[in-house]
Amino acid sequence: MPDNSFYYHTGYAVATGIYVVYAILLIVRWNRVKARLPGKDE
Amino acid sequence: MKPTPLTIAAVIAVVVTYIRAIFFTPYEAVQGPVQKIFYLHAPAAWVAFMAFGLVAIASCLYLWLREDRLDRIAESSAEVGVVFTTVVLTTGPLWGRPVWGAYWTWDARLTLTLFLWFIYVAYLVMRSALPDRAMRARYSAVLGILGALLIPFIHLSVYLFRTLHPRPIVMKPSAPSLPGEMLTTLFLAFASFTLLYVALLRARYRYAVTRDGANPAEDHRAR
Repeated sequence: MPDNSFYYHTGYAVATGIYVVYAILLIVRWNRVKARLPGKDE
Repeated sequence: MKPTPLTIAAVIAVVVTYIRAIFFTPYEAVQGPVQKIFYLHAPAAWVAFMAFGLVAIASCLYLWLREDRLDRIAESSAEVGVVFTTVVLTTGPLWGRPVWGAYWTWDARLTLTLFLWFIYVAYLVMRSALPDRAMRARYSAVLGILGALLIPFIHLSVYLFRTLHPRPIVMKPSAPSLPGEMLTTLFLAFASFTLLYVALLRARYRYAVTRDGANPAEDHRAR
């Protein structure tokens, strides 16, 4: 069996990173837009 | 933004899928460990197609009914679809390098998927560039529908053209050709990433509603 663990681990790290970064960016944008709603809660 | 039960369920489902794929699913004998990228790559492709399919449906309905919420659904699904397509286009080459000997080849499946990604990135860029809300929604709807027309060609490209990319081993007319343990992990991955898509879509839609509520009359250049 070939040892290609590097690509396997990198693939999982990259995919997870993309999902996590997108979720963080969504929360940041949400908070920025919410700050423009005076007197309104979520 | 507080986590909803849906978001929590999606995160738990994805974590369970990772644990099963990494620790409880056997290595494929020929390809070795890298074959496990399959459990991220194939579900991401499935979700991306579903997301862009929803863009097309919501866009058709928008052109008919002219309801803002349909435009918001299409916009949200397109953005989440681009995220999943990005996962497809990054995990694919990392799987292809040790198996094919190359990160990328310009064959039909890969090239059409890259075009799909470009179309929906252009869709999002166009939305941020058009100041008039009605014009933006109308133009986006047309592009969203045209972009989704690529999806059947991408799915069938492995049959229509000579390509390095393997043919479907699950979504095909005959029975899936995967051992039971791998098939269970794959179905779990399909379910959990679909749940993640629904959670992200809902969060992105709620963001769009809040954004439009913050700027009811003006344009939305700051996105």
